[in-house]
Amino acid sequence: MLALLVITSLAWLAFVKPEHDRQKAQAESGIEISAALPQYQPDNQPEEGFLEGLKQFWAFTGFRNVTSGHLIMIMVGLIFIFLAIRYEYEPLLLIPIGTGILIGNIPLFTDGGMNLQVGIYQQGSVLNYLYFGVLKGVYPPLIFLGIGAMTDFSSLISNPRLLLLGAAAQMGIFITFIGALLLGFAPPEAGAIGIIGGADGPTAIFISSRLANGMNLLADGTPVKNLIGPIAIAAYSYMALVPVIQPPIMRLLTNKKERLIRMKPPRAVTKTEKILFPIFGLLLTCFISPSALPLLGMLFFGNILKESGVTKRLAETARTSLIDIVTIMIGLTVGASTQADVFLTKESILIFALGATAFAIATSSGVLFAKTMNLFLPEGNKINPLIGNSGVSAVPDSARVSEVEGLKADKTNHLLMHAMGPNVAGVIGSAIAAGILLSYLG
Amino acid sequence: MMQTLLLAGAAESLDPLAWTIVVVGVGIVFLSLLIVYIFFRYILTFILNFKLKSFARKKGIDPAEALTAKTIQSGEVNAAIAMALYRYFNELHDVESGVITIKRVSRHYSPWSSKLYNMNNL
Repeated sequence: MLALLVITSLAWLAFVKPEHDRQKAQAESGIEISAALPQYQPDNQPEEGFLEGLKQFWAFTGFRNVTSGHLIMIMVGLIFIFLAIRYEYEPLLLIPIGTGILIGNIPLFTDGGMNLQVGIYQQGSVLNYLYFGVLKGVYPPLIFLGIGAMTDFSSLISNPRLLLLGAAAQMGIFITFIGALLLGFAPPEAGAIGIIGGADGPTAIFISSRLANGMNLLADGTPVKNLIGPIAIAAYSYMALVPVIQPPIMRLLTNKKERLIRMKPPRAVTKTEKILFPIFGLLLTCFISPSALPLLGMLFFGNILKESGVTKRLAETARTSLIDIVTIMIGLTVGASTQADVFLTKESILIFALGATAFAIATSSGVLFAKTMNLFLPEGNKINPLIGNSGVSAVPDSARVSEVEGLKADKTNHLLMHAMGPNVAGVIGSAIAAGILLSYLG
Repeated sequence: MMQTLLLAGAAESLDPLAWTIVVVGVGIVFLSLLIVYIFFRYILTFILNFKLKSFARKKGIDPAEALTAKTIQSGEVNAAIAMALYRYFNELHDVESGVITIKRVSRHYSPWSSKLYNMNNL
């Protein structure tokens, strides 16, 4: 009975399913694709028909359609999974992205433009529907909602001057934007690449889905390149590598005396202040940069849910179940969007190079701005420049780097709480910068 | 050297809009966060202090004293107080009187203490 079932399934897979898919795809695309496939001829002898069927089955397997590009990308996916499990580099992101890369690079039969409705770029496939959330920028604001419901702005409220460090670190975005233009990218593509310097994955996806989605047209009528995959992968990869990239730059730009600076403990923040911060933060920032509304609106909304104290259930859902679901979706689909033919291009290599530069510039800007602020601050009220790196919005990784580097200089000097201020300010700053790029280039 | 010159040339040929985006972008990011800073550093503090002072006056406390009490309060102090209270309430059960009392129960008869059952009736 079991054998019969297996044989029936195999026969269905080998003969009926490919033919059914072919006819369906042909009807949808209107392209004649019969020439691309070995055909089952009813007039042939049964043995020949069987062989033709096997050939057809072979034509649909990944082994027949695999290219070196697929194999390279599968290796990249495996490396992501390895890094996440072995070194615990952002496992919540790298595992879905790595698995997504594997899923997106399973070789599919696409001869003659055939649409099996399986791949992420094939219309009507499940993955394509899930990818809609990336393409239309649905997922990033939902992630921001969760981040808002998780974030405690107390350290920022108690010491609001740290907001300026979050602004300084956004220099990385604009300098990289110029760098991308110099390397020949079109302005909308350069804007999307520049946002990698914000060290904020959801913002990078949001901006690239608006500016470099492969659909918008430039002034000369040519479409922009689809850079969502490379930009998202570069942003998340460098976010995972924050503990590797930032410390050498921080040590290079500070001296021993500066690393030993002790900051005043943050004062206690009242509940009223905590409630007023997201309300006034939302109004003030969005009035200045309305294009940042989808991100900042959701960020502050999430924080109001948390701080109001009367919507605990909603805040709990936003910071746990909702953000987890969206992280799974965004990670998997961004990973799957790195299909070898889209991802393995000269542009991707340039994007990775620009992304590394953006991170280095953002870190340096934050540290140097903290040192500049110290020139004007009285003794005893100075800022430890080691928290300047936290202006990039990789929350909480960059703040953790500040803490670790601070402890290396002085085992009793804890900088984590101070570093959280510029860290969350960086989230606000990068969203504002994204809004400005959108308003000019979108 | 050659590359630097090429980049310098390319920078000159950049669309003026690019420089506008950079200058306006950096300016707006700083301005936005600066406004939030000014609001929370000065305006909100002023409003809250005003509220605190009027509350102190109502309660008959010196407003200056109330303000000082508020400003010196830090998260660390709160944490220390919270820890002290936590330990105090958790260790309450350790404070015993030290008097052990055996309550004598007098019953007319119980088989558990019956002399009859504790002896071999030979």
